[in-house]
Amino acid sequence: MMDSQRLLEQVESTATVLQVIRRSDGYLHVSIGSQDLLSCLIRARTETGFLVLQLISVVDRIEDGKFQLTYILENPDDSSILILSALFPREGCTVPTLSEIWPAAETFERELHEMYGIDFPGNDRQDEEFILEGWKDKPPMRRDFDTLEYSIRMFGERWPRNHHDPRQFIGERVGEWETPMSGEEGS
Amino acid sequence: MSSMYCNCKPEAPRSQLKAWAKVDELARANSLWVTAYGTGCGAIELRPLHTSRFDMERFGIAMRPTPRQADVLIVSGYLSVKTLKRVIRVYEQMQDPKYIVALGSCTINGGMYYDSYNTLNVLDRYLPVDVYIMGCMPRPEAIIDGFGLLMEKIKAGRADGWEHYRENLEWYRDNQKKVIPKWDLPDYNW
Repeated sequence: MMDSQRLLEQVESTATVLQVIRRSDGYLHVSIGSQDLLSCLIRARTETGFLVLQLISVVDRIEDGKFQLTYILENPDDSSILILSALFPREGCTVPTLSEIWPAAETFERELHEMYGIDFPGNDRQDEEFILEGWKDKPPMRRDFDTLEYSIRMFGERWPRNHHDPRQFIGERVGEWETPMSGEEGS
Repeated sequence: MSSMYCNCKPEAPRSQLKAWAKVDELARANSLWVTAYGTGCGAIELRPLHTSRFDMERFGIAMRPTPRQADVLIVSGYLSVKTLKRVIRVYEQMQDPKYIVALGSCTINGGMYYDSYNTLNVLDRYLPVDVYIMGCMPRPEAIIDGFGLLMEKIKAGRADGWEHYRENLEWYRDNQKKVIPKWDLPDYNW
């Protein structure tokens, strides 16, 4: 298993490492500059043996006006994990596609395009529907999308609710409320 | 494609003798066949019902693999917009008379997904529900109790959701088309 120091050196040779988030044997999670992301991923694939792209995930950091994209790579030979995070500007977010390098990335990117509105130029299938059918509104996983307002507008107000005190409510229904514990205390 | 569904408006069933209708209702109530179609997390609670512990077949309730043979559709829990389209299709393919049992808080008022962008809040606006079983999720005992209620309703001749659906089809269709943006079903597809 590759130790994390060697992994870190290899990442540093192609990218500016902004922060080491977590490291242990065979595991490295770093955040890097967004301009180095593509070259770093290609290098990890071709030279270091990280052949498997496990996941691309996004965090909407609306306070900073950024999307944080996280790529999880695995080396199938020694099961070591490399995680690369990079921040991209939130408005008009454009991220280089990986569909040429990992075909599986095409599907991840389709999902992110639909759910967050991130543009992946070069991914031919990103405009195909992934989960939502005929969605016309703002991408629903962005944090500035108001789900409650959408739900009320689309599906209507839900029926008013009554609140009952369980003790009183069940007591009225069944006669009297008596737990096994209170029975034991009485006897 | 059009040979695969009927494209004319549903007709009211022929009237029959009151006494004979009673016999029909008794027979229907005691052999409820359920479409094996789980829509949400509540489908998990149906597994113990099939098997020996709760064994719903002792009440004459059995699962069928196709909607054409079934009388009951169980909407088990939250219903997303995408699933609603499939549920409408399944429901309309079932033969009359047919009944809908809705499980869980989500079908009643949205439950814990009341603010979700993708799940319906009130099922009754889109399909006629005969029996609601509350809970999140209801236990198998509660579901058996709900089926008992449905049987009583059928025997009393009050489980007429399917007739209500046929009579008010335009209202239901309007509601359905409002939430399903990509409506590509035929207008009458049973």
